[in-house]
Amino acid sequence: MLSYSLRRLLIGVGMLLALSVLIFVLLRLTPGDPIDAYIDPNVPMSPSDLAELRVTLGLDQPLPLQYLAWLQQASVGNLGYSIQRPDQPVLGLVLSRVGPTVLLMGTAIAISIIAGIATGMISAVRRNSMADLSFSALAVTGISSPPFLSALVGLYLFSVYFNWLPSGGMLTPGREFSIGDLLHHLILPAMLLAIAQTALIMRYMRASMLEVLNQDYVRTARAKGVYEFWVITKHALRNALLPVITLIGSTIGLAIGGAIFIESVFNWPGMGLLMVNAVENRDYPVIMGSTLVIGACVIIVNLLTDLAYAVVDPRIKVG
Amino acid sequence: MNRLSRLSSAVALAAMMATTAVPAFTAPAQAATLSGGFDVGPGGFQGNFNPLAATGGFTWLSVYFEPLVTYDEKLQKVTGVLASSYEVSPDQLTYTFKLTDAKWHDGKPFTAKDAKFTMELAKNAKTGSVLAARLSAVASVEAKDDKTLVIKLSGPSASLMDTLTKVMMLPEHALSQIAPDQLAKNSWWSTSPIGTGPFKFTKYVTDQYVELAANTDYRGGKPALERIINRYFANPAAAIAALRAGEIQFTYVDSNDLTAFKNNKDFRIIEGDSFVVNYLGFNHDSPIWKDIKVRQAVMYAINRDAIIQSLYGGAAKPANCAYVADQVVPKGVETYAYNPEKAKQLLKEAGWDQINGNKPITLLTYYTTPLAANVMAAVQAMLAQVGINVTPRAVDTPTYNSIVLNPTPDTAQFQMVYAGLQNGPDPGSINVGLNEKQIPPAGPNVARVRMPQLTAALDAALGETDAAKRDLRYQDVCKVMNSQLPWGPLWVANRYGIASSKLKNFVWTPAPGGGPYQAYPEKWAIAE
Repeated sequence: MLSYSLRRLLIGVGMLLALSVLIFVLLRLTPGDPIDAYIDPNVPMSPSDLAELRVTLGLDQPLPLQYLAWLQQASVGNLGYSIQRPDQPVLGLVLSRVGPTVLLMGTAIAISIIAGIATGMISAVRRNSMADLSFSALAVTGISSPPFLSALVGLYLFSVYFNWLPSGGMLTPGREFSIGDLLHHLILPAMLLAIAQTALIMRYMRASMLEVLNQDYVRTARAKGVYEFWVITKHALRNALLPVITLIGSTIGLAIGGAIFIESVFNWPGMGLLMVNAVENRDYPVIMGSTLVIGACVIIVNLLTDLAYAVVDPRIKVG
Repeated sequence: MNRLSRLSSAVALAAMMATTAVPAFTAPAQAATLSGGFDVGPGGFQGNFNPLAATGGFTWLSVYFEPLVTYDEKLQKVTGVLASSYEVSPDQLTYTFKLTDAKWHDGKPFTAKDAKFTMELAKNAKTGSVLAARLSAVASVEAKDDKTLVIKLSGPSASLMDTLTKVMMLPEHALSQIAPDQLAKNSWWSTSPIGTGPFKFTKYVTDQYVELAANTDYRGGKPALERIINRYFANPAAAIAALRAGEIQFTYVDSNDLTAFKNNKDFRIIEGDSFVVNYLGFNHDSPIWKDIKVRQAVMYAINRDAIIQSLYGGAAKPANCAYVADQVVPKGVETYAYNPEKAKQLLKEAGWDQINGNKPITLLTYYTTPLAANVMAAVQAMLAQVGINVTPRAVDTPTYNSIVLNPTPDTAQFQMVYAGLQNGPDPGSINVGLNEKQIPPAGPNVARVRMPQLTAALDAALGETDAAKRDLRYQDVCKVMNSQLPWGPLWVANRYGIASSKLKNFVWTPAPGGGPYQAYPEKWAIAE
């Protein structure tokens, strides 16, 4: 397993390198650069003054040179300085955002795994019951409601209308840090982020469970007189979980996409908000840095999923 | 204990923590703290702490930094802040400022040496200063004594005082050790800046908020508020949600979001002139606009009054040149009242069928608000009625700038723009957008206006050192614009802020770039 992991990690490094080239080229193909983003068209500046600013940022150099200069610095851990916020090094900026994003996504994923698996199981076991029908209807609604809609409706309902939860941010400004304050801010964006994934997991879990419940070994267990509770939790659940684990692993990318949106609606100081700001301002070093970090996370999570596979199902051997 | 039950107890525990934690927040926010979205909207600049690099955000920066001079609240005249008085020599080349007794937030005295140091940083493009070009007329800066600053110019400049309002004084003792080209990268700006203003910087939580505390030694008296918090928002809509939820007491709002606050006693609507004239910029490099009759037809074809009434809710003034202020608009200018028949006639006379006919014309804009989308749709429909086929294209600011500021642009990408240009408080602000000498790459005359008569009128107005005659010179500019139509001028809209009615003595105006202006933050107060 060790040599397998090492090999996968090496491939991962190669993929990151390719990703950096791709992002670099795409960024340069995007119209406008950081200096163009800096200028308010209502209060314009002359292109010759802007050219001077471009020279100080090295944006006048040929593209391959710019990339190599970036790569050389990046390989020793220096991702440069943000252009939009020149007093902030990119690495520090990106790393300071990993925590909040992991917290938000982690909570959302935990909610969706628990709620998705539980409702999926109930739906499968009590097939065609009221519970099954309601969960299935909710799941279809969840899958088909786009995050921009659910986020805005959630924001309006819980923050503006009922005034139960804060409308944005991670902590109350000017107040001492407390776990309670953090949870108070976390709950709404995490729930909203979890909607789509919960629905997806529920659908998969239900289908997979129904399939397993029809297997011979389940019938055998029942015939042996095992309690129904144990049949479901010990015999069926574990086997039904396999495809769901694959799904969870492969939807991490989807969750990152959702997080980018939720973070900008709720001003959650994570990677998503950082990237949206950086793209709007064509802050090249920040976009490169955050893409690399997200890319690395996806690669690692996928590796962990494959390893988790082997743990859940002893028949599978990695290597 | 099996896995499932372990899991369920963990969930129960988490739920318990969440519910027990909630009551802690129902306590009211601390009194004497004002939270606001001070950097929301077009005048804001979230995340910038360096006044030398600021193209906006002065509403907030001027709560803890101060300039020598600033505008009054109505943005009509320049008045002293750190300068108690100033004199201008008869030849308009020497400005002598007497400085007031002020202290930096660390207790050290503010002197003319600090002012000289700041002016030199602002003049030096290596510091990343966006003021360098505007201060190019400054030949020397001298600290005659601790309280006297002398600025000498190489030639008279009507816009010097306007530029000086944006030069926030910086402490020499804190910054002199940093090389000018490293200054912008220094973390001082967002960790421990000191100014002379009524509030002191306490902390910045990245992309969340900035917190200031009262400067109890402020020369204008101890501030009424204890703290001011500037919250960051991804867009005005998020700020409005926070305002309605009671989390903040002030923010800028787009005019189409006003309805929720009208006739609501919990909020006060603050209205002000945007000082931005909106126009349809004809790209003069494109042959289709060459005939003035075509440009006149565009003006007659658009029902500006209807757009102002239905889309702006009446909160805009139609513009017939770059200005709407009475003192710079001469009597008897053409008002281009809506007349589609006349527009069709003019197009026929010009031979529009041969010039362009029904071919689509790209109408480029950087305005991406719902209001702007509606305006563009209305303009498109109105122009289509007379036979001009425009296709609106809204892009983000960097894309727009990269297209229009390109020294060799692709004319097909922007035959026309829907844009805005700052037209005050200094009426000379429009020069860069219309003077022939400002065509890219020299300047930002993005419509490539080449009109000798207009350039001459602008040069005469900018060179006029007699303040009494200056308005007349700008009237000449207006007259030329009105008759020659370098652009199709549309309107000057109002802009809005919403303040909680709990706020007392709160002064705000939607100034371009956020000001600065005299806002007296030391007097702002909040009722319990």
